[in-house]
Amino acid sequence: MACARMVKHLRLPLLLLLLALAAECNSMSPPEKPDKLGCRSPDKETFFCWWTPGSDGGLPTVHHLYYKTEGQENMHQCPDYHKAGSNSCFFSKTYTSIWVEYTVIVEASNALGNTSSDPLTFDLMNIVKPFAPENVTVVVNIEDSPHLTIQWHTPSNIDTKSGWVTLKNQLRVKPDKSKIWKNYASETQTHFTIYSIDLGVVYMVEVRCAIDNSWSEWSNTTFVKVPNFPHKDNSFWILVFSLCLIPLLAAMIILILKRKTVKKYILPPVPGPKIRGVDVQLLKSGQSEDVINAMLLNQRFPVMIPWKDQKEDYLIVSDKETSYLPLEKQKIFILPLAMTLDSEVQSKETSEVDHFLKDSKSSSEESSDKTESSQLLTKCPSANVLNDEKANQLKGVTEKIIQPFGIGGYVDITRHEHMQEADYSRVNEVNGDNILIMKKENVPHTLDTQGQEGSVPDNYSMVKEVNSDNMVFLEKHSDSVDASFKAKGYIDWVIQKPKNLHMTGHSEIGVCPQLVGCEYVDTVPPPAVI
Amino acid sequence: MPGNIRSVSVVLVALLCLVFCSQPTSLDAAPLCTNAEAGCHVLSLANLFDRVIQHSARMHGISNDLHSEFELYFLPSKNQIGRVSRNCHTSNILTPNGKENAQRMAREELTEVILKLLVAWRDPLWHFHQSMTHFHDFIDFSSNKSLKMSDMVHELRKGVQKVVEKMQMLGILSNSVSSLMSPEAFLASGSAEWRLMKDYELLYCFRRDSNKVQNYLKILKCRIVPEDGC
Repeated sequence: MACARMVKHLRLPLLLLLLALAAECNSMSPPEKPDKLGCRSPDKETFFCWWTPGSDGGLPTVHHLYYKTEGQENMHQCPDYHKAGSNSCFFSKTYTSIWVEYTVIVEASNALGNTSSDPLTFDLMNIVKPFAPENVTVVVNIEDSPHLTIQWHTPSNIDTKSGWVTLKNQLRVKPDKSKIWKNYASETQTHFTIYSIDLGVVYMVEVRCAIDNSWSEWSNTTFVKVPNFPHKDNSFWILVFSLCLIPLLAAMIILILKRKTVKKYILPPVPGPKIRGVDVQLLKSGQSEDVINAMLLNQRFPVMIPWKDQKEDYLIVSDKETSYLPLEKQKIFILPLAMTLDSEVQSKETSEVDHFLKDSKSSSEESSDKTESSQLLTKCPSANVLNDEKANQLKGVTEKIIQPFGIGGYVDITRHEHMQEADYSRVNEVNGDNILIMKKENVPHTLDTQGQEGSVPDNYSMVKEVNSDNMVFLEKHSDSVDASFKAKGYIDWVIQKPKNLHMTGHSEIGVCPQLVGCEYVDTVPPPAVI
Repeated sequence: MPGNIRSVSVVLVALLCLVFCSQPTSLDAAPLCTNAEAGCHVLSLANLFDRVIQHSARMHGISNDLHSEFELYFLPSKNQIGRVSRNCHTSNILTPNGKENAQRMAREELTEVILKLLVAWRDPLWHFHQSMTHFHDFIDFSSNKSLKMSDMVHELRKGVQKVVEKMQMLGILSNSVSSLMSPEAFLASGSAEWRLMKDYELLYCFRRDSNKVQNYLKILKCRIVPEDGC
């Protein structure tokens, strides 16, 4: 009895112990619940689902997918477990309905049990997701301008002709060293060209497509290298550049070396002011001669032509006795007043004088001696013709050189020797026309003096010049007669130092209205002061 | 002579008058636009289809956004197990649920389906918009979208009607579709189940239906005017 009781009590724990031992030895369990269920439709006409199985519990485990559409009660099993790979279920067109809600469940079962996953409900329009495009080709072209031409194919089995599927494409490009992708949209065409690429860079290209705004994954990356331009072009241009550079450098060096010349050419020096005819350099030297020379360097004084055509004046010549003779009876001897150096003129004068002499000679015959002295010549300082004896002398006189002195210059009075002087004693006054008006009355004093002396000739041979104050400048005579020629009253005789003066004619009454030094001389026969 | 000149001038004047006077009559000729509303210009059927398809795509986009936002705000848990079955009020409308089914369907049928769908959603969306005004949070984000959505449905229906008319004019479509033009006809036979729908369900249903419309239109276009874009 006690033994049976002991066995009864020990049965339960023994069983448990055995079971535990059995369990430990095998470690088998029903499968775990499949996980991560997913479904996808790549073309909007079929779809497939996948799952991740859990542990199988040590026993061979089988997975089953069951689905149910909206409105149905029963679950159906997956029509195709293989097409989509392992642990997946493919639903063909027959089994696919859109705008119908599907409920999918996966069950794992083994010898020990079944385990179901969580259900998944979806509508086909929500699980549409195409595959990535296929056969992506990238061609590099650098002929005209570097560009990439990319081509691809749409994923297979997608029907784009019926309008059921609207496909869009997109591609992205980036240089392999960069991190930023550049996206380009290409609507329905399966090719694209990219122009903005750099040379010598490796580019990565990826493409994807979309159905109804649901995008696929990016395609596998395509690597492409863009080559550089060949170096031949560069070397050519370098050569051209260097050839052009050499003459340029040479020109620049020449310019720098000759910069002064260039400067002169571009900016010519401005000439300073200059006086014509004056040599500045000579002026600067400071020497007086040079200064003068500088001043007169190119002076060309205009040629002085002595007056020939002077105004001709009439001189009234009158006797002592015939002092009041009317003018017309006067012998008028008109001679040009200006004298020239020209011998021809002299000869002319001589001839004229000769004529005059002849004339006067004839006339003087009337009044013999007395008229001699009173003959007056209009010519100043022309020769005084009195008688034949004097003619030759006169000739000689006239042959004396007459030197004009410029326009208003001096006229040398030729020297007359042995000239008979005119009698000025009776000169009253000289009027404006340079006409001597003889005095009627006698000046006894002087006359007497004159008469007494008588022999004292009126000698003008030594008259140098006559100034405006009726002063007669005499030249110094070799004789001591100078002393005797002392003017009284009318004339002042001035003794001059000897100079080669010539006196022509006497200017007893010389009519020289214009010539300097040819003025009238009021002469008084020199007093007989010896 | 003057008589001749006179006759010639009369003839010339008559000719000129004919030339210039006939032009106004030509202006009174048949207008360029059939079914002309104000300021119309000729649009090809393909253009019309494109416009309508774009419109439907926009509408679907808005409905999709609205649905996502609604889910975020009002149903944060993604646990969909306990979700109510999708009983849309348009479930009784037989719609092809695949490409082949849609392609097999006759043009007229397909056009009818499109129109039915569009007609069926005009009132519910309006009411939905009205009810949304009570939700202040929702209004800040989506009130203009709900209004836009209801307007778009209305406009899209009119657009599709125009396309149908053009197709009928061109002889592509038979005249059997015309009976469904007025929404009142539909409503009379249809149900008012939409009043029982909750807002979220309504949004879900409309999202689906707008997608349907878009796809059906695309299928129709590529079948009738298979130009580029198909």
